[in-house]
Amino acid sequence: FKDDLSTSPQLFTSMSPYDVDLPIQTTEDVLFSSQFNQSKELPADFSSVDLSFLPDITQDNKEQNLSGDSHEMQKELDGSIPRNEDSGIFMDESSSSYPDATQPSPEASDVCPPLTPMTPMTPVTPASESSGIVPQLQNIVSTVNLACKLDLKNIALHARNAEYNPKRFAAVIMRIREPRTTALIFSSGKMVCTGAKSEEQSRLAARKYARVVQKLGFPAKFLDFKIQNMVGSCDVRFPIRLEGLVLTHQQFSSYEPELFPGLIYRMVKPRIVLLIFVSGKVVLTGAKERSEIYEAFENIYPILKGFKKAS
Amino acid sequence: MAAGGSCPGCGSAALVEDAHYAQQQLVCASCGCVLAEGLLTTTYAEEEHLREVAYSQSTGQKEQLSRCLQRGIRRVQDLCKVLQLPTVFEETAVSYFQRAVQHPSFHLVSLEKKELLGGCCVFVTCRQHSWPLTMGTICSLLYAKQELFASVYLSLQKELELSVPALSLADLVKTHLNSFRLFQHAADVPAPFVEDKEKMVTRTMQIVELASETWLVTGRHPVPIVTAAAFLSWQSLQPAARLTCTFARFCKVAGVDLPPPAHLRLKELLEILLRMASQLAWLRVFKMDKKTVVKHIGDLLQHRIFLLKNAFCLEDEEERCATALGEHSPVSPPAQEEGCPAEGKRQREGGPGPLLPPCLTNPRKRLRTAAPSASDLAITGDEPISDSEIEQYLRGPEEIRAFRQAKAWP
Repeated sequence: FKDDLSTSPQLFTSMSPYDVDLPIQTTEDVLFSSQFNQSKELPADFSSVDLSFLPDITQDNKEQNLSGDSHEMQKELDGSIPRNEDSGIFMDESSSSYPDATQPSPEASDVCPPLTPMTPMTPVTPASESSGIVPQLQNIVSTVNLACKLDLKNIALHARNAEYNPKRFAAVIMRIREPRTTALIFSSGKMVCTGAKSEEQSRLAARKYARVVQKLGFPAKFLDFKIQNMVGSCDVRFPIRLEGLVLTHQQFSSYEPELFPGLIYRMVKPRIVLLIFVSGKVVLTGAKERSEIYEAFENIYPILKGFKKAS
Repeated sequence: MAAGGSCPGCGSAALVEDAHYAQQQLVCASCGCVLAEGLLTTTYAEEEHLREVAYSQSTGQKEQLSRCLQRGIRRVQDLCKVLQLPTVFEETAVSYFQRAVQHPSFHLVSLEKKELLGGCCVFVTCRQHSWPLTMGTICSLLYAKQELFASVYLSLQKELELSVPALSLADLVKTHLNSFRLFQHAADVPAPFVEDKEKMVTRTMQIVELASETWLVTGRHPVPIVTAAAFLSWQSLQPAARLTCTFARFCKVAGVDLPPPAHLRLKELLEILLRMASQLAWLRVFKMDKKTVVKHIGDLLQHRIFLLKNAFCLEDEEERCATALGEHSPVSPPAQEEGCPAEGKRQREGGPGPLLPPCLTNPRKRLRTAAPSASDLAITGDEPISDSEIEQYLRGPEEIRAFRQAKAWP
């Protein structure tokens, strides 16, 4: 059925950068090339694949499908849970019976004609070259459930690195040196870990805190570890006319020099808040995954660059 | 006092108006026959002196709104009246306020915040109609803390998804200068201080535009810039008499606050003007400094486009830099020919540098976080954790005893 894919109607050509991202494979295994890689062996067994999402083509998909930049795609898929809904179309297509392949076409035909997105999308510059700048992660906030009630006074007494001031805040503030982080430990057993520079560091730090609590005699477990927020920053190395940016991207930007010197840009996809400063420094926050930060920066960079030339 | 007429009973003309308890009665004095009884309500109040009944009172519309909402709406209306805003603004502001208070995120906020919410609605309305109103003004009218106002404003903008256009500097200049008391002769304004309003407004506007072109405005609070520009323009209109006057004195006489950043803005403006002056052919003979450049502000503003191009190496032109610009032609030359001198010349002449915001030209020394080291990158998050590492964070028994003795822990 390889031929079917290659001779598939023009409807699908715009989506060609979408290599077949098979959700049953881990993203690290799938190698992306800029060409639609036909040589990949498509697994015949789809029993483990969840196809329930197939019928819907959401606005998200349309937007992604039309952005021709596979490089952006790659970054997006690298760190995150594979976007099942996008590959769903191809899943159906690549199934052995040809009539199935036509199934998505009515939906796809909705996709291809010129789209006016119903929700305001951050304008995407198609096929832009990558900026070459990688945002650096500055802070990761994660939570974990230790699943046991804790005696905070006891912890503060027996641990050197803990501070507890119940009148000010109802949690123990604990710090460790490596990785350099801070944790808020609540009596319910929930814990918040902040200050790590990467997801793995955050996880390691959270485990260390859990071990400290264990050693203090509590039956602490390590449940539901989740990254809640990631903050990154970078520098585009040229000054930015914030007044102009707020004029052209009014529905996303908020620039109030009386309140704050930076422009607050609320990107819709991915849902990230960017703080853009006149010096060219950009802070990105609100991400649950690293890829969102990279994607957001790749989205904003052409906008900022376009601005620089225009001024 | 008898009214006209005779008693139907006895025919006597002695009719008396008397009150039976609270009711007026017309009674015959001879036979006691009651001719007429007073009305319980008088025509005077209702029919001859009719008062307009407001729609909201007659329909019970007001009763539908909670007292808190009513109070808030009244506050918004009062604010609009104090600021002398057109009636359209009042209606829009009230409608925003009603929408906001009904929104779940504002429904239960404190009364203080609800009052600030009213102020924010007025502020948003003014901005949307390009009425230059600063947050400082609203905060001072509401006796509000700026941080609280800022947070309420930002959440209002987000929740109601309002698009608020940027503050127009031109309008702000006009409004701000209106509050300067320099345009008329008065007892406390010395004669050399008085200035023509039109001239001052025009020149201040030009200086503010110059500031915004040279990156002095982006990211900064607008009012200090306008104040500094006003001072410079006022000085330059009559430099002989006014050069000796300080900024602080100027603001005091003009009856205007001197915001702290204004001194820095003044310094930055003067630096820009000095750079421009170095490119003006007939000024290069003079040694310019911060005082003397003020005299030539008029000329500098007149030729500012040309001077800016020459004084600063605009990044676009770096690539097409011509070599050796010795003399500058006073008439604006084509873009290809001018542009900046080559890099080497730049240092020698003290000539054009890049046009950058002050935060980039004078960067504060900041500790740059190092890029993640190789060992950091190798962390998987699942490494084994040694006991000794954890134990370093636990207190020994002697320590605990010592703490307990010190009664650190009740």
